[in-house]
Amino acid sequence: MFVNCSKEGGIGVVKVSDSLTAATVEMFRDQLRSWQEAESDVLNYVIDLGEVDFMDSAGLGTLIAVLKRITERGGDMKIACLQKKPRMVFEITRAYKVFEIYESVEEAVQAFE
Amino acid sequence: MHAVINTAIHCPWAANLGDTPWALLPVANRPLIDYWLETCSNQQMQSVQVVLGEGAEEIERFVGAGDRWHVEVEYVFARQSETPHDYLESIAKHWDDGLFYIGGPIFLRHRQAFRPELFQQLPACRHLHGELPYFLFGRCNAAIQPLLRGGEDSNRGLEEIHIHPFILDSVGAYFEINMKMAAGEFVRYVTAGYGTADRSSVGFNVRTPPSSVLQAPIIVGDDCRFGTMTTIGPNALIANHVIVDAFTELSNCLILSDTYIGRNLEIHGKIVSGNRVIDPSDGTSMTIDDSWVIARNRTELRTNDVVRCIFLWFVTFGLVLLQFLPFCLLLPPLLLTGVAAFRKQLCHDPHRGYIELPVFQKKKNVKSAFYRLFRGLSLDRFPLLLLVLRGRMFLCGQPPLRHPQDDAVVGQLRHYIPGVFCYRDYNRDSDLLTDALWYAHIRSLFEDLKILVKALVSRFLTAGRKLPEE
Repeated sequence: MFVNCSKEGGIGVVKVSDSLTAATVEMFRDQLRSWQEAESDVLNYVIDLGEVDFMDSAGLGTLIAVLKRITERGGDMKIACLQKKPRMVFEITRAYKVFEIYESVEEAVQAFE
Repeated sequence: MHAVINTAIHCPWAANLGDTPWALLPVANRPLIDYWLETCSNQQMQSVQVVLGEGAEEIERFVGAGDRWHVEVEYVFARQSETPHDYLESIAKHWDDGLFYIGGPIFLRHRQAFRPELFQQLPACRHLHGELPYFLFGRCNAAIQPLLRGGEDSNRGLEEIHIHPFILDSVGAYFEINMKMAAGEFVRYVTAGYGTADRSSVGFNVRTPPSSVLQAPIIVGDDCRFGTMTTIGPNALIANHVIVDAFTELSNCLILSDTYIGRNLEIHGKIVSGNRVIDPSDGTSMTIDDSWVIARNRTELRTNDVVRCIFLWFVTFGLVLLQFLPFCLLLPPLLLTGVAAFRKQLCHDPHRGYIELPVFQKKKNVKSAFYRLFRGLSLDRFPLLLLVLRGRMFLCGQPPLRHPQDDAVVGQLRHYIPGVFCYRDYNRDSDLLTDALWYAHIRSLFEDLKILVKALVSRFLTAGRKLPEE
C-alpha cells in the first residue's frame, strides 16, 4: 500500500511510503480519495512524509490539490516529518508558505487542538 | 620557472556539484584553473605542465595549448601509484630554475593589499592540506628540495604577500568563496575599470526585461535570460547559459552553468547546478529534472530529439504534399509578373558550415493578391520544407542565421537548430539571440507543434505580411 491512512482523535493521519513524483501521484490520489470516501466524517488531515525522500512538482501539485479539496470541505491539512530533500523542494517553490509544516506527527495532531 | 598544475587529485565533495572536473569549477564564473594560469602568466612563467586525471578531456579542451594566457602547456597523465611528491621528484631537472606547484582545489584569494609585484617577494613555501601539498613554491632547486623532503613547513608564505590560500575542501567552502566574490571581492581579480561602481557585474547578452530587479552586488554570466518580475540579488552569482523564468527570486545563491530555473521559485542560500540543488550548509544534494522547478539546459542530443525529428519529418512530408499543387499553380504568375522571386541567402549550417537558402522576396512595391496568397499559405517556405526532407534543416527551430550578419549570434549558441518555422513567425517582439537560446532549452515535440500551428495560423491571418524583424 502506497498510502497508509489511520485516525488519531478524529484526525486523519496519512502516511506516504514512497517518493511523490509524477509516476506515483495518481496512486496517492486514488488511495487517499477512497479512504476519504470511507471516512467521510474526517475533516482534518496530517500528511506524514517521513518516508518520502524525493518529490517533484507533480507531487507538490497533488499536495496542493489535496489541501484545496480538504479546505473546501471546511477542514485543514498539515505536513509532518518532512525530510531534507523534499524540504528543499518546499523551500525553493515557496510551498512552505502554503502548508503548515511540523517536525512530527504528534506535533501536527496537537496543532489541531 | 616551471609551473605544475596537478588536476588529478581526487575531490569527492566536487562530485555533488555535477560532472564538471574540480579544476574547472567556476569561482565567480571563472574556472579555478583559469586563475592559476593567469597567475603563471602574470609571473612570466612560460612553461606549464598540467597533470591530468579524471575529466582530462574537458580540462584539455578548456586550456588548449595555453595561448589565451601566453604560456606553453604540456599535458601529462597521472599515475595512480605515484604521489605528487614522487612526481615532482621525477621531474626535478625541469625545476632547477624554480617551481610553482598547485596540487589541489586551492583558491589564491587576494587580500586588499595584494599586488602582482609582491610575488617577487614570495619566499619558498609549502601549503599542505592533510598530507598533500596544495601549493609549493621555490626559486631554485636548493630551496625546493627541503620542502619536498618534508622539511619545515611554513604554511604562511602566501600570507606574507597578502594572499590567503583558501582551500576548497567542501561544498560549503566552495559556496563561501563564491559568495565572497559576489559580495565584492571579484573586483580584485579583474583589470582596473572592469568592475562597476556598485560592485555588480553583468556579462554579455544578458536580457533583463524592465521589470526585473537586479540588486548589487551580483555577478551574472553570459547568455542569461531572466523572465519578467524576476528579482536577483544580493549576492547572487549566475553563471553562463542560465535561464531564469518569471516571478522567481534568487539571493545569496550560486547558479552554475546550463541551469534552468523554473517559474515562481525562491532560491536562497543554495547552489543549483543543472538539475541539482545543493544545500552548502551540509552538502545535501538533490537531483531533480522537472522544467517546472529546475532542469539542465540540455547539451547533448537526446532520444527525445531523435524521436521529435523523425515525427516532424513525416509532418513535413504531409505539408509538402499539401503545398505541392498550390506552389506549382501560384509561383509561375508571380515570377511572370515579376512581383517577387526567390533569391539565395548564405546562412550558417550546423553540419557543413554554410548553406544557401532560398528566400522569397518582393521585387516590386506593388499590391498583389497572388503574392499575399502565396505568403499567406506559407508557400514561400516550400523549398525550405524540401530541405527538411533532405535532413538539411528542421521543421521548427531557431531562425536560420545569415552569414556574415549573424556571425556573432552563431558564436554564442551551443546548439544551432535552424528551422523553417520559428518564434519570429508569430512573435513581433522576437529577439534573435534570446529566442535561439530559449528554443535550445525548451525544444520538444509539443513546442515544435505549437510553433508550427501558431506560425501557419499567424501567417495566414496576416496574409503573410512581413514582420518588422524579417
